[in-house]
Amino acid sequence: MTRDVALEAEVQRIGRALAQRFPSPARHPLRALDQRAMRLASEDEQIRAALFRLVDVTPATHSVDDLARHLIGYLEEISERPPSLDTALKISDTAPGRAALGTATTAAVRHMAHRFIVGESPSAALADIAALWRHGIAVSVDLLGEATVTPDEADRYAERCHDALETLAEAAGRWPERRWLERDSAGPVPRVNLSVKVTALTPLMRPQAPHLGRDDAAGRMRPLLRRARELDAHLHVDMESLDSLETTIELVLGLLAEPEFRRGPSAGVVVQAYLRDSPAQLDRLLEWAAATERGSPLVVRLVKGAYWDQEVIEARQHGWRPPVFERKSECDRNFELLTRRLLDARPLVRVKVGSHNLRSVAHAIAYSRLGGGADADLELQVLRGLGDELAEALRAERLRVRSYCPVGDLVAGMAYLVRRLLENTSNDSFLRAHAHGAPVEELLAAP
Amino acid sequence: MSFANEPTLELRRADARDRLLVALDDLDNRLPLRVAPVIGGERGASEGFESTDPGMPARVIATAGRADETDAREAVEAAARGFREWGRRPAARRAECLRAAAASLRERRPELAALQVRECAKPWQEADADVCEAIDFLEYYGAGAVELERGPKLTQVPGERNSMRHEPRGVAAVIAPWNFPLAIPTGMTAAALAAGNAVVLKPAEQSPASAFALVEALHEADVPANALNLLPGFGDAGAALVRDPRVHLIAFTGSSAVGLEIVRAAAETPADQAHVKRVIAEMGGKNCILVDSDADLDDAIPAIVASGFNYAGQKCSAASRVLVHEAVAEALLERLAGAVEALVVCQAERFETDVPPLIEREAQERLRRCEQRAERDGRLVTRRSELPAPGWFAAPGVATDLPPDSALLREELFGPLVTVEAVGSIEAALEIVDSLPFALTGGLFSRNPATIERVVGRAPVGNLYVNRAITGAMVARQPFGGNRRSGTGTQAGGPGYLQQFAEPRVVSENTMRHGLVTEPGTGSDGG
Ligand SMILES: Cc1cc2nc3c(=O)[nH]c(=O)nc-3n(C[C@H](O)[C@H](O)[C@H](O)COP(=O)(O)OP(=O)(O)OC[C@H]3O[C@@H](n4cnc5c(N)ncnc54)[C@H](O)[C@@H]3O)c2cc1C
Repeated sequence: MTRDVALEAEVQRIGRALAQRFPSPARHPLRALDQRAMRLASEDEQIRAALFRLVDVTPATHSVDDLARHLIGYLEEISERPPSLDTALKISDTAPGRAALGTATTAAVRHMAHRFIVGESPSAALADIAALWRHGIAVSVDLLGEATVTPDEADRYAERCHDALETLAEAAGRWPERRWLERDSAGPVPRVNLSVKVTALTPLMRPQAPHLGRDDAAGRMRPLLRRARELDAHLHVDMESLDSLETTIELVLGLLAEPEFRRGPSAGVVVQAYLRDSPAQLDRLLEWAAATERGSPLVVRLVKGAYWDQEVIEARQHGWRPPVFERKSECDRNFELLTRRLLDARPLVRVKVGSHNLRSVAHAIAYSRLGGGADADLELQVLRGLGDELAEALRAERLRVRSYCPVGDLVAGMAYLVRRLLENTSNDSFLRAHAHGAPVEELLAAP
Repeated sequence: MSFANEPTLELRRADARDRLLVALDDLDNRLPLRVAPVIGGERGASEGFESTDPGMPARVIATAGRADETDAREAVEAAARGFREWGRRPAARRAECLRAAAASLRERRPELAALQVRECAKPWQEADADVCEAIDFLEYYGAGAVELERGPKLTQVPGERNSMRHEPRGVAAVIAPWNFPLAIPTGMTAAALAAGNAVVLKPAEQSPASAFALVEALHEADVPANALNLLPGFGDAGAALVRDPRVHLIAFTGSSAVGLEIVRAAAETPADQAHVKRVIAEMGGKNCILVDSDADLDDAIPAIVASGFNYAGQKCSAASRVLVHEAVAEALLERLAGAVEALVVCQAERFETDVPPLIEREAQERLRRCEQRAERDGRLVTRRSELPAPGWFAAPGVATDLPPDSALLREELFGPLVTVEAVGSIEAALEIVDSLPFALTGGLFSRNPATIERVVGRAPVGNLYVNRAITGAMVARQPFGGNRRSGTGTQAGGPGYLQQFAEPRVVSENTMRHGLVTEPGTGSDGG
């Protein structure tokens, strides 16, 4: 009990220290950025739907007029339009009006996209990535792409991953030393870090036949692992919706246990704490790690999970019990539980905690410290554009923080962008509460 | 009326898959099954013809007694007797029987799915969904019958009392196809029984065993022996049923050729037949998916693939023709071809299978001819070096550059072949859709509300799907059925379907006598 009390006190202390480093809520980037649009979106379901549909369709439209016509269609479906949107509708009666509207919309969507997407290609993103590193923030690059539906597309994605590894490795050699970003108790932490998606590596993802996608993706994954080892890069396999979970876990654990990959590269998987089954999934990972001799420990990134709405809706449509917790507090409590289990499992695994929730993050830091862990043995991760301030606060505290930076063109990035927007305007989001100026006690309250 | 769809199995979970494999093993140990004609509760012989595994034609799934015209006559006679008992039961009691039958199918779900895997080469996911749909039909029509019995509200004025009720028609002949071997026979049978009719069921010769399981379940659930009769067999037995003057109603799902023949034959009204036969027919389609320039191909392509190639395209709702805006046609064709080449063609029992074998040798030969025609008239853009053997496999294909008068663009193919045409606009695509004699399902991919509204307004199809696959209609969510030559415009699994199986009767009673309303409570708008 006293341990719990001590932990809670430490969580509060760290949380407040981090919060003090945040800019005031009024200067919160989500407010600054398209403040009105985001506020409208998070307050009105219909406006929110219209905004997302607009963002989603923008890259597929063929002219500004075409885009404006889509916008009109979405606005017309809003039953109670605020005056500003009514004005937009009136303007759109004429071709020049539509041109103006379409042009403004394109610019706004591009602007929004650039907050979340660092560049069109790894080489275009290099300057930003190097600047972050120099500043004291590490990066993981994620290559955005269209869905993979053919073998050629899977090959092209793998090819892009190879190029990214090479481009990044070549540049990383020139970055200055940042000791707390590149070393922990287990040894060196690779500077180059690439996140990959299994659904992009195979067109044969079949929820009811995980071995099919696993075997097909393995053929593209092996050369990537070899290249990563040669370049001393870390490969992180993201976790997507539950439909691909079994394929992903079997793929990664299977490959990393192959004799060829015993000595490297550094690689990792993700645990999603919103899944009811996640404690059992963590058991499986830890058992595997205990039974598998490897040169570099398995890296586990703990997140809450980015597909909550999709999982719930799909389960409802099928009449299944949703595989995710349905109360936010349950998810948050499970996140803390898994955080503690992961931190206790060190040095069997390397631990990364991916969250923008001040409470969740402070809890991880506090528990690690109370257990006598070195700060270097906990990595904190944020998403570019969403967690920039948190990253800055963590950096200032000399904690290792990594920003997950998507790279790709606007068309390919839309699915990602829409998911991020959804996350930010949903009622249960920490970022929304923060942007709306919730007091720090509330933000730091135990779930 | 409360109704919830039977949840399908969550096959992404290994334990759910394992249970199915155990059921398949059990089934294999019991093969071949024996299926007999069941007439008035009497079981006939179970020799005469066989159903075989389309993936391993040497494996006999069921030996079945072959019902002939005499059997058909006797079955109708039994049904006429059965009707006198069944038709008098109140709807609530009939619904109870259907619910009990649903419960027993529910208990046997893995086994019944396994049976479809073997008898019809239906992959697990679809086989399971088929069993669920059968359960849904029993529950939904049972509940619907109770509602129907209550009757609709009519306008009431002082001094008269008006009411409307629905009475059963009599003997229903149900003629069912093999492609939904449990769901479709169950749907038509359950509707007929729910409305109070007696039934003679003639299942497809390819799938007698699933129908037999249904009849067993209903009899065990206290449907009187005479009220439900089973005639395993071929077209001759079905034709005899259709001609029989004691049959009141024919519910048919199947090919257009047979369907139109039934409509014609049922129109014969000999002098000693005191009724006009009612035909409820679901027939073929030539289902188009329209893809506009603003569509998200990441969504459209998987949906087209699922719609065109699941169960090897052997669904009346399957996608056959893609009409795509020229601005994205090239990209769509290339990606679709790549996706189709990557499909897994394999035995239905394997969980990874996308495209199982076709139902029979004739289907395989027909598809081969379609493929040759596609290469001759246009271009087949997919290549596949080999197909598994044994089994009636056909290569999934995508054809394009076909001349507008090509038979491939007008006829139902009922196999894994999809054609793609570029169009200048969605208007042009709608013209094409409008020129077809069929109007079953259709699809649209567009993100423009105005376009969606336009297509909704103009597409004549019975079931239009927007930004999703065009197969997989669910009871009570997507009532299903086609217009034009695709069917008689009734929609199974929806409101209004049961009425087709019943006879409306209206009573209007004068309740005024010498200026006095004799019936208290009338004159209000109750009823
Ligand atoms: C570096 C990094 C990498 C990531 N990689 C992945 C990945 O590979 N796979 C992945 O899925 N996600 C990944 N994420 C995304 C992550 O899952 C989301 O950013 C995260 O869910 C947001 O959580 P939070 O702790 O920041 O915010 P919070 O606001 O505290 O939590 C929001 C989350 O809570 C959950 N939630 C919302 N409502 C409910 C409810 N009613 N009941 C239960 N739970 C609810 C959802 O998961 C939602 O996203 C990553 C995030 C980061 C920072």
